[in-house]
Amino acid sequence: MIKEHHLDELSEPARLNGWKSRLLRLTSLRLRLVAVFAAVALTAAVSASGIAYWLNRDAVLTRAQNASLNDFRDAMSRTAGSLSLSASCTDLGEAAADIANSTQNYQVLLIDNQCTTTSQPGGFSIADVPATLRKAVEKKNPKPNDPSEYHLYWQRVNLHGQPYLVGGAKMIGGGPTGYMFKSLEAERKDLNSLAWSLGIATALALIGAALLAQAAASTVLRPVQRLGDAARRLGEGKLDTRLRVSGTDELADLSRTFNHTAERLEQRVEELSARESASRRFVADMSHELRTPLTAITAVAEVLEDEAESFDPLIAPAVRLVVSETRRLNELVENLMEVTRFDAGTAKLVSDEVDVADQVTACMDARAWLDSVELDAPRGIFVRLDPRRLDVILANLIGNALKHGGSPVRVKVRQVGEELVIEVADNGPGIPEDVLPHVFDRFYKADASRARSEGSGLGLSIALENAHIHGGGITAANRRGGGAVFTLRLPMPKEAPLEGSENE
Amino acid sequence: MPFLLLIEDDDAIRASLELALSRQGHRVVAAASGEDGLKLLREQRPDLIVLDVMLPGIDGFEVCRRIRRTDQLPIILLTARSDDIDVVVGLESGADDYVLKPVQPRVLDARIRAVLRRGERDSSDSAAFGSIVIDRSAMTVTKNGEDLQLTPTELRLLLELSRRPGQALSRQQLLRLVWEHDYLGDSRLVDACVQRLRAKIEDVPSSPTLIRTVRGVGYRLDTPQ
Repeated sequence: MIKEHHLDELSEPARLNGWKSRLLRLTSLRLRLVAVFAAVALTAAVSASGIAYWLNRDAVLTRAQNASLNDFRDAMSRTAGSLSLSASCTDLGEAAADIANSTQNYQVLLIDNQCTTTSQPGGFSIADVPATLRKAVEKKNPKPNDPSEYHLYWQRVNLHGQPYLVGGAKMIGGGPTGYMFKSLEAERKDLNSLAWSLGIATALALIGAALLAQAAASTVLRPVQRLGDAARRLGEGKLDTRLRVSGTDELADLSRTFNHTAERLEQRVEELSARESASRRFVADMSHELRTPLTAITAVAEVLEDEAESFDPLIAPAVRLVVSETRRLNELVENLMEVTRFDAGTAKLVSDEVDVADQVTACMDARAWLDSVELDAPRGIFVRLDPRRLDVILANLIGNALKHGGSPVRVKVRQVGEELVIEVADNGPGIPEDVLPHVFDRFYKADASRARSEGSGLGLSIALENAHIHGGGITAANRRGGGAVFTLRLPMPKEAPLEGSENE
Repeated sequence: MPFLLLIEDDDAIRASLELALSRQGHRVVAAASGEDGLKLLREQRPDLIVLDVMLPGIDGFEVCRRIRRTDQLPIILLTARSDDIDVVVGLESGADDYVLKPVQPRVLDARIRAVLRRGERDSSDSAAFGSIVIDRSAMTVTKNGEDLQLTPTELRLLLELSRRPGQALSRQQLLRLVWEHDYLGDSRLVDACVQRLRAKIEDVPSSPTLIRTVRGVGYRLDTPQ
């Protein structure tokens, strides 16, 4: 019970971790899909919008420009032609207003040798005309065959934060130079709203792509997640886990393979466990069967032992051998039965509240070990445990220390927090590092020459099982100063479990 | 010389135990089945019964129950394993003690002598606890003037408790005092015997007023208020 509880506690953060990493893994796959979809959508939308924008912009600007410039040219030639060379500044101003009086709605700047006039007072001045444009306008046409002495030039500029088309031309025959300023604000507004529309369309395309990616990811990932869950359940030992196979795609194929694998695994495990339980039953039955003749032999062996002195000196050693070997056989069968009980899970605790110091002392006293062991056990540590099982543990640990370790053997009993800790330390050569992990294995013999030692080879294994059934454990280690130390830890529940159902 | 009845179905075990126990100074009659054993019990009136649990026909527990209906002589069970359900059932059926197979005759002999000592008189006074009167000279217990049929173990347990009225005795203490067991005594012996004793001396065994359980310690005998 306690053990399972302990395990649960341990696996809680592990499960959480697994969940987290699973989420991260899935998210990353999902994220990758969304990113790819988004990139594709973005590229397509941006290139389509970009091309559309540039084509539109070009068309809009060219049309507006041509209309204004043509109008300006016509008005210029019409008005300037009627202007005499000696026209006054006032005439020039009137001419400018005349030219500007058109549907194209631009401002005009006329300049001759004396004065500069504008169609709108306080409007643009010559300073607003870019120098490059001025230079181009003033330049005479270098081609001799061309009938026009000067050309009409234009440039798009930003004046006071607003887009303008500035066009300029010089009259033939030393007339005034005219500049026009046409605001492109309306065009800019149109183009801006077009850009906005295209941007929104791109954003919508992106969102659509992300949603599509999400949907696609889900259709792929949900089966993958189901598969992952099933694999984990299988790993946890639920071998009857199967997946529902639907469709004919790769994932369905994978599910089918999974089911097949799980089926085979389940079959195999069933076979193995059947074989194992059969062999365990065999050992249990065998040791049980051995006990009946052993009971009879043991009874008679004792009679023989009592009579050993009266036997022929040649026979007496034989009798003693039979007696001592019978005892060993008894012990072995007893240990075998104990092991099979642990394996089958039928071992039970017969607990009682005991003073640990008394138990340890009595255990050593019964085996005449009190003189060879240094005992440090304060009285008054009461623990609820199975006295017989504690005796088995102590007898094995102390007996082992006396047999394989060196004197003095020290036994220390302490209560540490909510645990009873009993240390059995010896001064022997210690346990070789490669043997240490195996000391609790059944029939493990550290060195071949000790193959026929007195122990059954089950002692430490049984001691460990006896500690486990109490919810405790035993650890083996080497002390720094030399010698081995076995540490038994048993839980000490604060509140002793209630016994019986009597009303007090 | 104690007179024992051995009930054991296995021929080899029966023969060897008979031999060993005889050598320890007991007079032994043996039976191979429960039915034969009950018949021998009526005919020969032994002092004590050594009873195997696994018997063909009526098993050891049933034999135990049938004996207890009429007789209070001590019964020692031969059983397989100390943590078996066998022990609990056997003790509930009225057995006084048990030994584990493969049994060493010396251990069995010690148990037999310990059980038989329980019926011996050790003082000559008497004590009263409510309606219960314990006469230590006659080794009898009466309830409202009526004789109670107690096994030697039950009687000894009551005597030990009554010698220290109001004082809690731990199970291990009682195992030493009554059963003469060493430190490995099985506390279930005490619990089972207390249950049987309560059934005989308490007015309402399920809510005892004489033999009280002291949680985490053991038992104590109180004088009812």
